[in-house]
Amino acid sequence: MTEYLTMFLLLAGAVFFLAGTVGLLRFPDVYTRLHALTKADNVGLGLVVAGLALQAESWAVVGKLLLIWLLVLLASASVAHLVAAAARQRGIKLWKR
Amino acid sequence: MHSDDRRQRLEFLPRDSVMIHLRTGWFRAALFALLWWILTDGAADSWLVGVPVVLFATLASLALLPPFSWSLIGIARFVPFFFWRSLYGGADVARRALHPRLPISPDMYEHRWRLPPGLPRVFMANIVSLLPGTLSAELDEECLRIHVLYETSTFAEDLSVVEKQVAGVFGLALV
Repeated sequence: MTEYLTMFLLLAGAVFFLAGTVGLLRFPDVYTRLHALTKADNVGLGLVVAGLALQAESWAVVGKLLLIWLLVLLASASVAHLVAAAARQRGIKLWKR
Repeated sequence: MHSDDRRQRLEFLPRDSVMIHLRTGWFRAALFALLWWILTDGAADSWLVGVPVVLFATLASLALLPPFSWSLIGIARFVPFFFWRSLYGGADVARRALHPRLPISPDMYEHRWRLPPGLPRVFMANIVSLLPGTLSAELDEECLRIHVLYETSTFAEDLSVVEKQVAGVFGLALV
């Protein structure tokens, strides 16, 4: 039972990573691409971490997985902001429909 | 935990400030000890190194990030809010990226700060980037400039909800 749940969570996580990458390729400018990377990958990694946590042998491993997710969350949100701020400073115009 | 009277107390009664540093120090030491336990898989003989490391980390953290006010109730409210909204945010952007017609119409939006400067604002800027359709692009004294992936009429309301949640985490009242 747990095996199937893990499998489902890992596959769902992979779908989000794939969607984030498709967004990176399809979205028109730096700002919209950042949207795809930060948000989709956050959920993708969250699902992968949840799937792996179900297979963990101890609570310390669950904590480690959770910690990895939180650190990536912090890093991706901060880096997305820094890239967007740098793009604004260099006067890169945003794409409009 | 009201930040205003704490800030005043910090200014007017140095003895209280020592108490607050002590209490925060114990609390952070417990968190660092938990972190050490996680990183070492609870290996008992690792504490020979772990205890000095936890002590040093606590002192360094007190020097780098002085005690700030926060609220347990605020955090308990924030966590499920953030969890569901960021899940929705990921699903939303994934759907738009995979959609054949790419349904986006980006724009910039300015949000005037109601949070006090410092940690609460940085925290909110990071949170905003993980919520549906919004990305923190620039922050200055007066406002947070946000890149939105699609225009809707509810961004102003959504952001004030986020700001209220963040204020709750830090036990603050909005001005």
